[in-house]
Amino acid sequence: MTEKYIAKDALGALITVVTSNGGRFVAPTLDARQVVYKEVTAAEAVVDVNDYILPRNSYKEIAFPQTEVLYKYELTRSGVDIDPVEVVARQTVVFGARPCEAASLASLNAVFTWDFIDEDFTKREESIVVLSVGCVNADDECFCTTVNLSPESTTGADVALYETENGYVATAITEKGTAFVEAHAGSFVDVAKGETKKTLATVEKVEGVDLTKLGERLAKTKNYDSPEWAELVRKCCGCGACTYSCPTCHCFDITDEGTAFEGERRKNWDACQFDHFTLHASGHNPRDTQYKRYRNRFMCKFHIYPTKFNSTGCVGCGRCIRVCPVRLDITDLMTAMSK
Amino acid sequence: MSNLYIPNLVTIEDVYEETPDTRSFRLVFKDEELREKFEFKTGQFGIYSAFGLGESTFCIASSPTRKGYIQCTYRKTGRVTNALGELSIGDTMGFRGPYGNHFPIEEWKGKNIVFVAGGIALPPVRSVIWNVLDRREDFGDVTIVYGAKTVADLVYKEELKHWDERPDVKLIQTVDPGGETDDWEGKVGFVPTVLEEAGVPAENTIAVVCGPPIMIKFCLNALGELGFSDEAVYTTLENKMKCGVGKCGRCNVGDIYICKEGPVYTATEIKAMYDDF
Repeated sequence: MTEKYIAKDALGALITVVTSNGGRFVAPTLDARQVVYKEVTAAEAVVDVNDYILPRNSYKEIAFPQTEVLYKYELTRSGVDIDPVEVVARQTVVFGARPCEAASLASLNAVFTWDFIDEDFTKREESIVVLSVGCVNADDECFCTTVNLSPESTTGADVALYETENGYVATAITEKGTAFVEAHAGSFVDVAKGETKKTLATVEKVEGVDLTKLGERLAKTKNYDSPEWAELVRKCCGCGACTYSCPTCHCFDITDEGTAFEGERRKNWDACQFDHFTLHASGHNPRDTQYKRYRNRFMCKFHIYPTKFNSTGCVGCGRCIRVCPVRLDITDLMTAMSK
Repeated sequence: MSNLYIPNLVTIEDVYEETPDTRSFRLVFKDEELREKFEFKTGQFGIYSAFGLGESTFCIASSPTRKGYIQCTYRKTGRVTNALGELSIGDTMGFRGPYGNHFPIEEWKGKNIVFVAGGIALPPVRSVIWNVLDRREDFGDVTIVYGAKTVADLVYKEELKHWDERPDVKLIQTVDPGGETDDWEGKVGFVPTVLEEAGVPAENTIAVVCGPPIMIKFCLNALGELGFSDEAVYTTLENKMKCGVGKCGRCNVGDIYICKEGPVYTATEIKAMYDDF
């Protein structure tokens, strides 16, 4: 598809059209003094693309909510009534997604669809239209190029936007993206002559990381007990912040809220960093110390996702580094494990 | 497919108090059509609901040769199992499954089978035992080595008695030292030791082992000493699970999802796994 152009001034009209057609428009906006992906109804609420590196939250929560009701139950005379919650996903446009993060939904999809299909996820995912914006700015925590993505990559984006002085040059990447651009021809117009894309940020590769070597090392079971794990991860306090902010972490819990008489069953985010996560009823815990839990997460990103799900486990967004209260840098582990 | 996580409703048709803290339920599906067509294979597991408290994972302890119901056995140790402990005949609970792989029992025809189980790990083995005993002529010698901490902790006491009386089954029961009673007629000693002392011939024999991780480890050694090849030794792993369908991220041992690729493995497969038990 040929390139199109959307003026920054035209964003408001696009939001109006999307929302008036019953869709949702999600964009970086301020919430509790932080830039987060959240539903907006007007262009004024959208934070300028140069005023943030990456929103605080991942937009995975659109397809995989922090908490969702699977069904309601009620005790009756004859037993129990179950009232399933039908997921009816409205079109959800994610504007301003960063290219790193855009790559993550496909990874989550791999987990939620291998063999058994989690339709709560797939229905919502199908409804998402990702409008990514190439990164003109990056910070010290960004490491997308180390995991083979970049400020301009289009993986997972439906429409890739690149900033110009007063707007964005838009390229539809997927059929869904093409359909979206065509359906909003009033907003996406021909590119005017002389419209120039801004220079994108340069993100240096982390020296010493070799994903092939890293993968090979993790694939060998004998390296699993290397004393390095405990040494490198000692300062991890097990708070799980990395997992909640990570766009590819998929762990969840299934739990009831209510009484034996009535209530609802929910699917809630969980984290492999907590000791009770794998604790057996007997008291035995296969991951009984923090380094084992960290090791599991690291394995998930750099061995399980790539080999089992043939997808990217880490998109290099750097959120886990930014939110870590003890300044544990995943790229340090990647470097150490590349040797 | 409807929502993956919505359970089928089952009625508790019978309750068996196995030990002071362990119970079995005989469950039937409320949906008559499902009751007729429900099938599972020996070694598969289910996820059971106590509404208001959540779900818990146990094997299906009955054999697919016994149709029309499923049996589960659980120890009251946590929130959900304690809630299940309050339920009685006629009550409703939830069941999702069957999930996981199964014991390749059809490949074992003509072979001798030795079952080795410890404590609350007899239920998954029970499914295989009855599957074999219900087609007794298809198999060679059947030996069952079962142990628990104390006499009171032995589950399925009626069935143990039945197996003990059967001429076509050799049952060896044991309790840990100190766990015996005055009238205890079985052995006193840990399962791996008793297994090794029993001297079960390895030739043309399949071993099915289930127990706590430490017991499995020592039993694999003991079977090795007896001359069993790792390919002839099967076990079933029971990691904590929530979804049962390879998504919630809990049960994996390295890159192996126990709920999807397991829970049944040969000793060869177990030994090739990451040390993440």
